[in-house]
Amino acid sequence: MAREEVESEVTGTVWKIETKVGQKVAEGDVLMIIESMKMEIPVLATEDGTIAEFSVEETEPVAEGQVVVVLET
Amino acid sequence: MAFDDLNAEYKARRAKALAMGGDAKLDRRRNAGVLNARERIDYLLDAGTFIESGLFARSLYPGDAEKTPADGKITGYGRVDGREAAIVVNDFTVKGASSAGTNMKKISQMQRTSKERGIPMVYLGESSGARIPDNMGAIGMGTLLASNASQYARLRESPWASAILGMSYGSATWYGCMADFNVMRKGAVMAVSSERLVSMAIGEKVDPEELGGWRLHSDVTGLIDIAVDTDEEAIDAVKTFLSYMPSHNAELPPEKAAPKGSDDGARDVASLVPESRTQVYDVRKVVRAVADKDSYFELKPRFGKTAVTALARIDGRVVGFVANNPLSKAGAMDAMACDKIISFMVLCDSYNIPLIFFVDNPGFVIGLEAERQKAPGKIINFMNALQLVTVPKLTVMLRKNYGQAYINMAGGQNAADVAAWLTAEVSFMDPTFAVNVVHGSEGSRLEETDPERFQREFEAFQKDNSVWDLAATYAVQQVIPPEETRSWLIRMLEVHRNRRTGDLGQHRLHNWPTSY
Repeated sequence: MAREEVESEVTGTVWKIETKVGQKVAEGDVLMIIESMKMEIPVLATEDGTIAEFSVEETEPVAEGQVVVVLET
Repeated sequence: MAFDDLNAEYKARRAKALAMGGDAKLDRRRNAGVLNARERIDYLLDAGTFIESGLFARSLYPGDAEKTPADGKITGYGRVDGREAAIVVNDFTVKGASSAGTNMKKISQMQRTSKERGIPMVYLGESSGARIPDNMGAIGMGTLLASNASQYARLRESPWASAILGMSYGSATWYGCMADFNVMRKGAVMAVSSERLVSMAIGEKVDPEELGGWRLHSDVTGLIDIAVDTDEEAIDAVKTFLSYMPSHNAELPPEKAAPKGSDDGARDVASLVPESRTQVYDVRKVVRAVADKDSYFELKPRFGKTAVTALARIDGRVVGFVANNPLSKAGAMDAMACDKIISFMVLCDSYNIPLIFFVDNPGFVIGLEAERQKAPGKIINFMNALQLVTVPKLTVMLRKNYGQAYINMAGGQNAADVAAWLTAEVSFMDPTFAVNVVHGSEGSRLEETDPERFQREFEAFQKDNSVWDLAATYAVQQVIPPEETRSWLIRMLEVHRNRRTGDLGQHRLHNWPTSY
């Protein structure tokens, strides 16, 4: 089991978390949505895996490059 | 000597040369699931078409004659899907395919034929670097590595395709970076020098994947176009790339009849783009839907992801797509996206491939990080390259077109013709920011300090940014519903053929270095 850290590629605010800890996801699945530049920017799974933890909550601000989800792959 | 004896000697010498570095080394590769150099050639070329150049070439270094079949780099000519090509295939089982006197002459000969006769070069790379001790000392350096003044003069007379298929240091890396297309097998390493040498030099253990693995080059450096799992997939990718290329820059890429059903996807294009302007989508689906069925070949999909660059066909003709991808950072182009687009324009301009721009972005990425990444230089290089392009450029404005990015994405007079979807919007910047720039004061926002005045000024600044005013100024020549995109492109590609030159461009970007 490897840990894959998924980062937000933009600075913004966590708008909606659309997945749950323990959920299986495939590469490219939408994990959460960040609001930035008046747009809804999805954070996508970078590999197939299971969601191990979230490091942010809804309405929390995030910076570009900040880890927001950890996957077990 | 009788002919029988001569024949026997020929056969014995030939068998020895074809045995490469010997059974033990070849077995180790086989067990690791990696093809050897001659198996790679068989997989690349049409059966029975390989004519080897220099099978009996070998090292002239004292004591190395018996240990250097073909001097570690196999060269020659053969057909790739029916078309002639010159190839350099490194044999790692012979002195790590290191560069030395004889094999450097072989490579030069292939490059000369490619350039003068108009056939592509294919490099299947894997090399340990310059051969030691041949290149050591003043005599080594003085007589070998610096003795070819045109080895690295890339003028794109013919396409170069490279596959990085193992540990690649020195020449395999240089040719990979200079090539028009570079595919890497996962597990291979592409770097200036080996992790062993790096570890010795800096006294620190270095992980080869971190030093030059596929993730580094796919995601961070952009020095490879795609990464694949096996040798066979890498060679397949080389063949696919060449299928979109002419053999040289004085002809057009081969046409291929559009498969049945190629018009089907275009009818549903509108359904791929959300109605809400705050929602994002994957522009690759739009490009695929508009292009001929199964003709989409994306380059650098994991690098500079806010823009997509892909070769494809429209009604049988090869075209290059440059599309903003709102799925990544709303499509706002960063320094990496600029580099990626520039290198793609160089490719298309060099080989007579018309460019199609799909625009939907809120502007260039701005901020401290963008400036550190040399955004101004990248943006203006992009613009400089765009205005040097002489192949036909066509632009389709899908949704957002803002500021300088509107111009860079072949807006206005920067394209031969521009069509705008009904959903297109265009302006210099968001009116909220514009009001603050003109009427606000530093450190405060007018909507907070004087909401009434803000509202008044906002209304004055909120000009019509819909497509109609742009059409009124003739900055777009057609306004089209999305489902007409494909038919518009087919028609416009025909209108804008370079008839006076037999469809050839002037190749003003042909010597632009793209390994940024």
